[in-house]
Amino acid sequence: MTSLLTEPRQPASDQWYPTLLGAYDEMLDNDGQIRSHWAYLIRALRTLGASEFERRGAEAAKLLRENGVTYNVYGDPAGQSRPWQLDPVPLLISSEEWGGIEAGLQERAELLNLILADIYGPRELIKKGLLPLDLIYSHAGFLRACDQIALRGKHQLIVYAADLARGSDGRMWVLSDRTQAPSGAGYALENRVAMTRVLPSLFRDSHVHRLALFFQSLRSGLSTIAPPSADTPRVVVLTPGPYNETFFEHAYLASYLGYPLVQGDDLTVRDGYLWLKSLNGLERVDVILRRVDDDFCDPLELREDSRLGVPGLVEVIRNGNVAIANPLGSGVLENPGLLAFLPDIAEHFLGRQLRLSSAATWWCGQPKALEYVLANLHKLVIKPTSRNSGTRPVFGQLLSQQELADWRARIRARPSLYVGQEQEGFSTVPALVAGALEPRHAILRSFLVARADGYVVMPGGLTRSAPHKDDILVSNQTGSISKDTWVLASEPERPVDLVMKPSPAQVAASQSGALPSRAADNLYWVGRYAERAEGTIRLLRTAIKKLHGNPDHGADEHTESLHCILRAVTCITRTQPGFMAKDAQTLLREPDTELLSVALDVTRIGSLAHTLRCLVQASYAVRDLWSSDTWRVMEELEEHLLGTQQLDEPTLWQIQDVLDKLVTSLSAFSGLVMENMTRGNGWLFLDMGRRLERSVQQLSLLRATLVRQRPQALEELLIEALLETSDNLICYRHHYRNNMELAAFLELLLLDESNPRSLAYQTARLQEHIAKLPREQAGGLLSAEQRLALEISSTLRLAVINELTAITDNGTRQNLDQLLGRLDYLAGALSETVTATYFRHESAPQPLAPLRTV
Amino acid sequence: MRYRVIHKTEYDYSESVGLSYNEARLLPRLTTHQQCAGTQLQISPLPADYREREDFFGNRVAYFSIRETHQRFTVTATSEVQITPQEAQLNFSLGTDWESVRQSLRQQRDAQTLDALQYTLDSPFVSTDPQLASYAQASFPRGRSLLEAVNDLMGRIHADFIYDPDFTTLATPLATVLEHRRGVCQDFAHLAIGCLRTQGLAARYVSGYIETLPPPGKEKLIGSDASHAWFSVYIPELGWVDFDPTNNQIPADQHIVVGWGRDYGDITPLKGVIFGGGEHELSVSVDVKNLGD
Repeated sequence: MTSLLTEPRQPASDQWYPTLLGAYDEMLDNDGQIRSHWAYLIRALRTLGASEFERRGAEAAKLLRENGVTYNVYGDPAGQSRPWQLDPVPLLISSEEWGGIEAGLQERAELLNLILADIYGPRELIKKGLLPLDLIYSHAGFLRACDQIALRGKHQLIVYAADLARGSDGRMWVLSDRTQAPSGAGYALENRVAMTRVLPSLFRDSHVHRLALFFQSLRSGLSTIAPPSADTPRVVVLTPGPYNETFFEHAYLASYLGYPLVQGDDLTVRDGYLWLKSLNGLERVDVILRRVDDDFCDPLELREDSRLGVPGLVEVIRNGNVAIANPLGSGVLENPGLLAFLPDIAEHFLGRQLRLSSAATWWCGQPKALEYVLANLHKLVIKPTSRNSGTRPVFGQLLSQQELADWRARIRARPSLYVGQEQEGFSTVPALVAGALEPRHAILRSFLVARADGYVVMPGGLTRSAPHKDDILVSNQTGSISKDTWVLASEPERPVDLVMKPSPAQVAASQSGALPSRAADNLYWVGRYAERAEGTIRLLRTAIKKLHGNPDHGADEHTESLHCILRAVTCITRTQPGFMAKDAQTLLREPDTELLSVALDVTRIGSLAHTLRCLVQASYAVRDLWSSDTWRVMEELEEHLLGTQQLDEPTLWQIQDVLDKLVTSLSAFSGLVMENMTRGNGWLFLDMGRRLERSVQQLSLLRATLVRQRPQALEELLIEALLETSDNLICYRHHYRNNMELAAFLELLLLDESNPRSLAYQTARLQEHIAKLPREQAGGLLSAEQRLALEISSTLRLAVINELTAITDNGTRQNLDQLLGRLDYLAGALSETVTATYFRHESAPQPLAPLRTV
Repeated sequence: MRYRVIHKTEYDYSESVGLSYNEARLLPRLTTHQQCAGTQLQISPLPADYREREDFFGNRVAYFSIRETHQRFTVTATSEVQITPQEAQLNFSLGTDWESVRQSLRQQRDAQTLDALQYTLDSPFVSTDPQLASYAQASFPRGRSLLEAVNDLMGRIHADFIYDPDFTTLATPLATVLEHRRGVCQDFAHLAIGCLRTQGLAARYVSGYIETLPPPGKEKLIGSDASHAWFSVYIPELGWVDFDPTNNQIPADQHIVVGWGRDYGDITPLKGVIFGGGEHELSVSVDVKNLGD
């Protein structure tokens, strides 16, 4: 095939871009001519050349991957999350056409808003016969607990998304309405950011409408609905958590909008209000931007088996003390059966037909409509009225006679659960496939938000195209490729900063440190896991080096020192029995398998792979708190980890290389955290985790190796190995030449406050951090964690090196052992105290066993 | 007739509960036959937050939350109600036939019919199926008056089913009840409702109490009475008429209504979400005292 992108002159269209029969193509008109609003883009792409354009596309993909843009697919065997796919050819919409689409969307949103307000209010539509009662009352989205609850202001539907498609006649139509908790706006924004990065001049010269205004409107819309008592409303983004398929977007939006990202158990209801359990105690929440499905939001009044909600939330909303967008119960509008009645309702409310209509729809709950659907099933699309029913749309034309008969029986048994819909066409858009443009079916999701003065439409949206030529359905769950959507302005637009400047109120809110205590908990563990991973790698490298440096088990002390280090590996990773087992002689002689397992077995608690997995998970749970640079490093770590899992028959030789890469990534991570993270509470907890973990590792390493007295030659080898493990060998040599002496070693690793790897150094940092933690004033008394940190510090300071090195009768260094043991105990106690004080671990809620009526 | 009802619910937890959120539907509502002289809800420990409202079905709901750490939770509802017996005797053979009622439910648009229409639909505890329809069928020959048909259905349930508190739990599906012909008042009410809905009729679930008459010559035992459930059918010319399939009778003045809904789930006496608590034990006592006329 000749490629459009390389061909300077335009050949016959069927040669370079074979449009699909009967479908409207966005780029070419019926005569095969490029539509005028596409001309500039195509010209520019030709100038750029196919290979360069592909390269830019790959760069955009890399950018998205590094930013961690993912879409999680439940039950996906390929792993938890799937990288977001972006086709670098945008969908173009001309300014004139967009004007019509925009007005149509606004009108549709206004209408749906009126319907929503009516369904949970006077229900005039039902009384007047414009909506059948059973269509609403039988729908799972109709939440009776939310009856007569209204947001203040004229809008009930705050965020709205519509999937648009273009029929073969060129008219846009609405495929489905999203009114529950529409997703995609964040992905649209990420796509835009990536596109402007890789095609800056093309983007600039194409005069594309900017997206930033939409997000400003979202912020302003959310503050409009806040309860009147809130001067500077606190808004939170409520997410089901990291396992949700669009969690990336929740985190991204929260961080972009400057709102805390919270899960249900970060919130609590008290005294009729909703509160965020933050590090500073409880803080009032005024507005929730909800990404949890409504029936999961309150286990008391809605689904009692929900673990994602806040018990008592509905009551707070009912009393107007917190506003939630979209309101609970808004899912009732995601009922395709409604579409059958929209034309009449539009006449009723607006006095005219909708400009942007949906496909003709018949709700089978009505006898005449049922007959029509049954008779025409072979050319209709069958849809369930409820999205949760697990049934996907079924295309009648694809069904066999038997299948049609089965569907007729199914529909006849419960007619009110189904609709039949006319099958409309989808237009095709050019997609970049192997260096050439090919048409693919596509749909456009557009986003609206209600502001006090009406609905604002995102100029653009999320275009998704089918991966294959013949696919007619497009869905994220089954795989689709996204595109940026460019609404072309007739003249250049004044740029609005994509990075929003926070309002003074927001600055105030963030300065008050509303860090959810769950986030602090996660950060603390990010610190601990990162350090644990690094420590494990360092010791593993030492062990491997020793093993390879002395392969023939030559000198006794070499073998013995190797065994000591191997046992230490088991100790600090807590993977007992391992090399500590009583009958570990064989294992010690042939340690490869065990070492590989400690390094790579992700199912083994304490292994390096397991620790890294925990690290990635803990970081992902607070995705909103990382800069894009930091997250890129985290992505890198995950890739290395994945790499180790894919090794066929790994050997110690092979993994040394990975270990080196991992250490580099981990160091980059800690460097970014040290240099780029503001010193707020979040950083304090992260660094405390790191310091505490380093102390604990240090203690257990020393205890495993130096408490027992050993021949001098062996001890010297051990000290050298430990120095290397802790990255102190150079420093030590600088001070003490090559004289490996225990006293000097202990001085450097335990007591030298200027050595960032010494215990004294960790203790000093811990003390500083703990002094800064938010706490309720308790007069001049020291808090429990302050007392523990002080005790660690003074225990260490009172230690006398000569006493520590002294050998007692049974051939051990009893004093050293006691000191290390005591410090280890104190460090453990400190960790527990911090956890108990700051990470509010409530027991999980459970429903009361209900009383049965007999 | 006047009654005093004392309904006490007690939860004993194996571990302490630090926080609880509850909803109680224990306060009797007003009906055409029932006045409430006074009702009161005693909650221990004292709630930090308490509010009353009416729910979607017009039932009285108390929302409360307890913040005091506790291992025992008690709710005592004390109500005094006055019941006026229905005056006219029901004439079973007269009255609209059930098919016409089914049709008028779908044609009339007045407020009362629209309200009744929602009770023709499936609900979480009562979903219709061919088995239910086939059981119902015998009571619904063509042209029979609705009142007579329902009375017949009630009689059949009473005769065909064995009252057996050990057989079912709250989670037992209606199909199992139908198959094994065993259950308690709640199951019988759901069963009748399901049968009526298979015929396109409106039926709702009523929760309340019944005065258990003491055996002659014996003192009435406190706590021997239980909370009770029955069903109600919408008959256009009469409004809602109650039927008690467990006792095979049309309630006159011995049934005290707390509230109603599509099924048990809408009028659960006490719901809650607790933090902590471990295992819990539940005990309930109901005392219905006849205070005379």
